[in-house]
Amino acid sequence: MRLQSILAATTAAFIAAGTMAVQAQEEPVRIAAIAPLSGPGAFDGQLAVEGMEAMVAIVNENGGVLDGRMLELVTYDDKGSPEEGVSAAKRAIEQDDVDVIVGGWFSSVALTMKEVTRDRILTIMTTSQHPDTTREGHDWLFRLNATSTMMSGAYSQFICDRMDLESIAFITINDDYGRLEVENYEKLLSECGIEVLGNEYYNKDDADFTTALTKLRAANPDAIYVSAINTAQGATIYRQIRQVGYRGTTIASAGNMNPKLVELSGPALEGVYSVSLFAPDSQDPELLAWVAKYEEMFDNEPSFIGSIGAQSIEVLAEAIDAAGTVRDYGELAETIRGNEWDTLLGNVTFDDIGQAEQNIYLIQIQDGKIASVN
Amino acid sequence: MEMELVLLTQQIMNGLVNGMTYVLIATGLTLVFGVLHIINFAHGEFYMLGAFFTFFAAKLLGLDYISAGIVATLGVAVLGILANRFFFWPLRKEHEFTVLLSSLGLALLLTNGGELIFGADPKYVASPFADGIVPLGPVIVTQQRMLIFAVGALVLVLLYLFIQKTRMGKMMRATAQNPEGAALTGVDIRRVYTVTFMVACGLAALAGALVGPTAMIFPTVGTWAVLKGFIVVVLGGLGSIPGALIGGLILGVVEALAGGYISMGFAQAIGFSIIIVVLLWRPNGLFGAARRA
Amino acid sequence: MMARFLPILAVAAALVLPLATSNTYFHHLLVLWMLYSLLALSLNIIVGYIGELSFGHAAFFGIGAYTAAILGMNFGFPGFPGLLMAGIVAGAFGFVIGYVALRIEGPQFVILTLGFGSIIFTTTNYWVDLTRGPMGISNIAPLGVGAGFELSSALDYYYLSLLLVVAFAYACHALMLSRTGRAFIAVRENAQLAASLGVDVFRTKLLAFVVATAVAGVAGAIFAHYLTVITPEVMSLNYMVAILIMVIVGGRGTIAGPILGALIYVGLLELLRATGALRMVIFAALLTVSVIFLPGGLVSLWRRFADRSTVRTARQAQVEAGE
Repeated sequence: MRLQSILAATTAAFIAAGTMAVQAQEEPVRIAAIAPLSGPGAFDGQLAVEGMEAMVAIVNENGGVLDGRMLELVTYDDKGSPEEGVSAAKRAIEQDDVDVIVGGWFSSVALTMKEVTRDRILTIMTTSQHPDTTREGHDWLFRLNATSTMMSGAYSQFICDRMDLESIAFITINDDYGRLEVENYEKLLSECGIEVLGNEYYNKDDADFTTALTKLRAANPDAIYVSAINTAQGATIYRQIRQVGYRGTTIASAGNMNPKLVELSGPALEGVYSVSLFAPDSQDPELLAWVAKYEEMFDNEPSFIGSIGAQSIEVLAEAIDAAGTVRDYGELAETIRGNEWDTLLGNVTFDDIGQAEQNIYLIQIQDGKIASVN
Repeated sequence: MEMELVLLTQQIMNGLVNGMTYVLIATGLTLVFGVLHIINFAHGEFYMLGAFFTFFAAKLLGLDYISAGIVATLGVAVLGILANRFFFWPLRKEHEFTVLLSSLGLALLLTNGGELIFGADPKYVASPFADGIVPLGPVIVTQQRMLIFAVGALVLVLLYLFIQKTRMGKMMRATAQNPEGAALTGVDIRRVYTVTFMVACGLAALAGALVGPTAMIFPTVGTWAVLKGFIVVVLGGLGSIPGALIGGLILGVVEALAGGYISMGFAQAIGFSIIIVVLLWRPNGLFGAARRA
Repeated sequence: MMARFLPILAVAAALVLPLATSNTYFHHLLVLWMLYSLLALSLNIIVGYIGELSFGHAAFFGIGAYTAAILGMNFGFPGFPGLLMAGIVAGAFGFVIGYVALRIEGPQFVILTLGFGSIIFTTTNYWVDLTRGPMGISNIAPLGVGAGFELSSALDYYYLSLLLVVAFAYACHALMLSRTGRAFIAVRENAQLAASLGVDVFRTKLLAFVVATAVAGVAGAIFAHYLTVITPEVMSLNYMVAILIMVIVGGRGTIAGPILGALIYVGLLELLRATGALRMVIFAALLTVSVIFLPGGLVSLWRRFADRSTVRTARQAQVEAGE
């Protein structure tokens, strides 16, 4: 008896929750924000969602989209895990019936989630850098960040031409993104005559890097290239590079610089280079408006991750207006691909497989601030 | 050849310091097991709280690093009393799996509560010793890591004296050997529970305060801490404090050498392999036969 | 009398449950519930019947999942024989690990299994040629026999896993009434006494361990085919803790307990989704409160009720004697 009544009660509750969610929300355009909101990537996920929230507020203040429909963000936690990402996307589509999905902050999640969203819903992938995210083309899928191949092309050119190095070593996160990074840079840097002296992989739950760094220091490279997506691990590595007595050049991986990382790493990041789509000293009026809104709404400093989140909203809002529809995904996707979009990070276009083309800036930490260099 | 030797010494040094943090975490864990026969899965969260309390004591009360660390240690020791009162004392007669799950629940509560209250952003416990380097010949160590080693050693000596020389220490030992017998001879079991948890949580917090400045802190660091603690406790022998000391240092050095000569990614698995071999050779751990606590 | 019809009623309810709605997300949750039930029931063999705590169980779930995925990817091995292979491979690992670890008891056994689990996880994470490492295997084909028939919807997977859960639950029930089952209980309660009565304690434990790990492997294989993606993450401590919560909150050493525990785990977390950031805090609080006030798990509520209203059956007496 008891077992059944529990089953019945639970069923009823599920169904009630489901119908409520569907009925109450007819007006707004609902955007699912699937991001890591707990676990090791929680902070990065928070920055991402905050960036989106700020842009949603701006769009809504300007009257929303499609003659007065407001944008609404529905957040889901993927815990940075592919399995959870699949579940979150299923829920967004099947239960909550959202209009579009923005996700894919980590490559591993993006790579699996795109199989669930394929041909079902328009999806924008954000910071994921793995080329496979957009490789096979997927009619309604777009990715904003440059792929690690595009990033490493630009970055290695700079490293070869301007940094005057004879040797380099890597410390790399052991995941799809990190493995690809090492592969790219080993090839590109060897080609311009920089000798690769070693690579150490670490796991995403490691908290102490002294042994690996001691080993790299002993190889005595001119520079250590740090590939870290997670802010906490990144800051720990930058500090420990100095603490093990390494005095050579530190190079930060592309696309992973944010003000929190600079604050946490202290003097260890001073003078360090990276590349980013986000030029923090840009005077683009849309960027300034977003920064002002962000600072009004949140305590964190606006970051690259947040700006990519904001860009996803901006592109969506403009494209929905231009296409005159949300749910006709074919039409909307065609519109996104067929136009150039003026966003807070500058102009962006998309190629046939949904990959964005946009500016990549070289940045450097100067006096504790992220600045662009030419 | 000279370089090789320096590198080896450096890695062993790294391992000993990391090992000492494991020792501090494991000592509290082994004490709770040795005296009360409780496997406390929430132990790592007190380590996390130690680091966060140090951060907030410095930020909100404007204390210097050392005072903040002391305040944090005492604060978490008091939390240990509360944790015992609500999560462990009421279950003292229940099956060990039940107590274990209760501690797992507490761990989830503290981690997720911590994420809510402290925020998800990583934090850095500033210490004046963090980046200062002490050269010992060609081998180098930061002042903070020297501090970890020195305080760890000092605390172990104090703990040993406490357990051997004080009245409370004797009551704890009596409880460890035979709780019913101890109760009959007038040992206040309830106080033994309170004091044991207070000391254990204080030790975990101290470890957090000391390790805080060597890495970023975030609410989930406790999971890592409790795992390392358990490995050390089992390796050394459940309930044995000398076991925790030797076990912790061995694990630290093994991991450092594995990381330094094989790959950091495999360090943890290699550490586990060593433990499996030790346990198959001596099922009760290295010091398992030794007198408890 | 009630106790006899209850399982049949429960199965009937489970059969019609998905018909209550055509909401596919609800069906997805039902699949998760059944797969977790199967997994929790298998861990229950170790926790509830052998009386040891294994912290390596998620690794066997992962081995099964990877076996199915790799066979499908590299050898085009069809789905259902793949399930069988997943069970065999996971059980073989279980045999080797159990053979080593079961000589040791208590907290040391916990750490040994944790250690083996960690080694399997690390190997999976770094053996990129075989497992594709941390990026995992995606695009796993749905379960099927050749090309003609394949499980495509969540409902198909629900009924498949329900079938396995019912079969396994019945097997557990029958086993507990058999001589071997009594040997399990005897070993859990007093291994020395059992040995003196002629029970081969080690073999009994090893048999149970192998069965448990093989079933976990099958559950993992279905999970892989259903989600179509598998990464080393499924072997992580998070999953391990989740299964343990299901078994103990539901009621270890019983059959309804782990199934109920899995329902609570899936259902409660889903219902709490609306509470946003508070979700895990509330979940942890409820978990802890339930452990403190219901140390015997949720099924102990039923037992209290049954004790008052009916004559105790022999089996209940046996279960209680086991407490």
